[in-house]
Amino acid sequence: MRAAVRALLLVATAVVPLVLPTFLVTALTEMMILGLFAMSLDLLVGYTGLDSFGHAAVYGFGAYSAALLLLHTGVSLPVAILGGAVFTAAIAVPMAWLCTRATGVAFAMLTLAFAQLLYAVAYKWQSVTGGSDGLAGVPRTAGPLGMSWFTSRIGYFYLAAGCLIAAYVFCRAFVASAVGTTLLAIRENERKAQALGYNPRAYKILVFVLSAFLGGLAGALYAPFAGFASPDLFFWVLSGQVLIMVVVGGAGTLSGPILGAAFFLALEHYLSVFTDSWALVLGLVFIAVVLFAPQGLWGMVRGHAVP
Amino acid sequence: MATPYLECEGLSRHFGALAALDGVTMRVESGEIRALIGPNGAGKSTLFNVITGVLAPTAGVVRFKGERLSGLPPHEVCARGLSRTFQITALFSRLSALENVRLAAQARSARRWRILPGGPATNQTAREGRQWLERLGLSALADTPAGLLSHGDQRLLEVAMALAQRPEVLLLDEPTQGLSVEETARTVDILRALLSGGGLTVLLVEHDMEVVFSLAQHITVLNRGRVIADGATEAVRQDPRVQEAYLGGLA
Amino acid sequence: MLFLISIGLTLIFGIMRIVNFAHGALYMLGAYAGFTIAGWTGSYWLALVLAPLSVAAIGIVLEAVALRPLYRREHGAFLLVTFGLALVIGEAIRLGWGPDPRRLPIPPVLAGSLTILGAPFPTYRLFLAVTGAVVAVALWQFLARTRLGLLIRATSQNAEMVHALGVDVQVVRAGVFGLGCGLAALGGVMATPLVSAHLGMGVNVVVDAFVIVIIGGMGSFGGSIVGSLLVGLVQTFGNFYLPDLALAAIYLAMIAVLVLRPRGLFGLEE
Repeated sequence: MRAAVRALLLVATAVVPLVLPTFLVTALTEMMILGLFAMSLDLLVGYTGLDSFGHAAVYGFGAYSAALLLLHTGVSLPVAILGGAVFTAAIAVPMAWLCTRATGVAFAMLTLAFAQLLYAVAYKWQSVTGGSDGLAGVPRTAGPLGMSWFTSRIGYFYLAAGCLIAAYVFCRAFVASAVGTTLLAIRENERKAQALGYNPRAYKILVFVLSAFLGGLAGALYAPFAGFASPDLFFWVLSGQVLIMVVVGGAGTLSGPILGAAFFLALEHYLSVFTDSWALVLGLVFIAVVLFAPQGLWGMVRGHAVP
Repeated sequence: MATPYLECEGLSRHFGALAALDGVTMRVESGEIRALIGPNGAGKSTLFNVITGVLAPTAGVVRFKGERLSGLPPHEVCARGLSRTFQITALFSRLSALENVRLAAQARSARRWRILPGGPATNQTAREGRQWLERLGLSALADTPAGLLSHGDQRLLEVAMALAQRPEVLLLDEPTQGLSVEETARTVDILRALLSGGGLTVLLVEHDMEVVFSLAQHITVLNRGRVIADGATEAVRQDPRVQEAYLGGLA
Repeated sequence: MLFLISIGLTLIFGIMRIVNFAHGALYMLGAYAGFTIAGWTGSYWLALVLAPLSVAAIGIVLEAVALRPLYRREHGAFLLVTFGLALVIGEAIRLGWGPDPRRLPIPPVLAGSLTILGAPFPTYRLFLAVTGAVVAVALWQFLARTRLGLLIRATSQNAEMVHALGVDVQVVRAGVFGLGCGLAALGGVMATPLVSAHLGMGVNVVVDAFVIVIIGGMGSFGGSIVGSLLVGLVQTFGNFYLPDLALAAIYLAMIAVLVLRPRGLFGLEE
């Protein structure tokens, strides 16, 4: 059954951009990018139990890295995107090392602090980051291997879809692996996991960096997609929004957060046509979900991440 | 004299002005089954916590096979071959019983750093997990979330998890605490069967004297953080100081 | 001013172990409410009293509705719900009052400046500082000396014991939360003449308030005082010498403190 659904989705993904109007293709591309971003956070929140309030940090960093690569060097689009993800993972190592020194609320606040710090840097370091205006005119540089096809709107859809699908497949495998299942143990009872011989900090750092890679990938996809990178990509509001996507979608399910991202964007774009207060509705839905359906919408359908 | 197997030398642990452990010296031989008894607040769990690295001693040292153990974090103590159960049951509540034991076995497996699901890696640990569940009589509950098990089954599950780590030293903190008479008997039978094979050194904290006398060869008695008696079971049983500490409690 | 907000936050976190992300939004609510009340009654002083009271009442309602079900769950849920509340309150304000900033004039008696030690200080800012100090001392005495204060502190340590003694823990919790909200609102009302009530003031303030509370140590009263002084100093000097770094400075400080002393400078055990 699940295989059939997945096959159907793959076919749909292949066909969709060819038949739908362009504005929908663009919207779906954005949904996939945000879905990747949300899924990366799920590894931290849903599987390891680490509530990060600063995930925008990796998104913004990925976006700026890719943007700078595309603006100042001649590398092609796929290289820049990959580069963005790699750089983000690199900076995540010291971040992870520092943040995992704390747990619970202190951890959440540390992640927030880092994100705000990056926001401040992006805002002020005008020479490099363009200050409050950010970097505009990010090109989608075609590469030498005839990859210019990716630069078109439809091509970009496939690029984003490809990244999301690859990331999803990897994450599915990861959470079933020895390391992935250990994360669940840490989430359930860190003290016990440690008593069993697992070093919780090492695992937390590992999943943090992995999550940063994927989140940075999403950010790196975003910059050429939108054509710009701005300090808002680091702001805590975005960190909160992606957290909402994960929780409302269903933490610990991988697919839930992707749906959560889609739900969020749908609300933002379509509800705002009808009413000025879509954010209010979103906030209320969020609170309701946390109070009454903590496993999220998808979690209600499928059941929490329990092997 | 041969290197002592597991030894605590002059171990002290203070909490502010309170000395939970005060100069505890204890030597356990390989293969021994040692019971640790004493009235409430005597420092038994604190001793466990210091040995397993949950707490650092304020004075003194713990050595295992000649190597210093005190000061290491819990996961490194465990890696050296010591596994424990907790006085207040500690499990992964939302995970199944099988998954609990499997994770315990996985921790000591060389393949635990795999980030892709290895057929061999997770399959083997799952198999080991099932074996241990069976030896402890918990096979039927393999897929039940650990948090939903009865108290007695949870205690047994914790023992299964500790054993699945193939430890050299097993530390059991009140394994029969809160169990009914019949559950206690069952647990003791299982433990006796498992320990009769030898090769395992056991440190057992217990309040139930019948359990102590049916399992232990040696007893160390703690009171107010100090060792007040230490020797073969029968000798300790007769010791007047021990009887006094318990205020007429020994069977 | 920031100090009042942090005190409220510390109170809520220390006593109830709730991380109240909505604190900034409540501050904002206080500002807007103060503006409106002053508009109706024509008096700044009335607004100063009524706005915090009404926000405190709202806080009590919120606690009953949104927070009560969460006490039995793990702490992460509080973080999420209060974040949601912050969003909702912020949006509600935007819908209710519109996007334009609202300014409240400084009451004439507090306008102008006083000369202290040869340097002129704006009277209103002095008023803020003095009020902050008075509130701090009053709260401290209240918690340390009165029976109710003792009850509150006992509840933070061991709610079950207090319950066993026949006290309705829920009432205590609701009261403390309301008090914390009221304090935030008070800060808001007092801020309007200076910065005028505008959207986004909650956002700016809540992060700073958290930085203060974290640096000072969650749950520690004295810590909040030290924290806000420290942050104030860092910001002032930062703005003076290294304006580019000023924005980043307090976050660096928070990171440094959290890394070296995860419980904050004076924090209590979690």
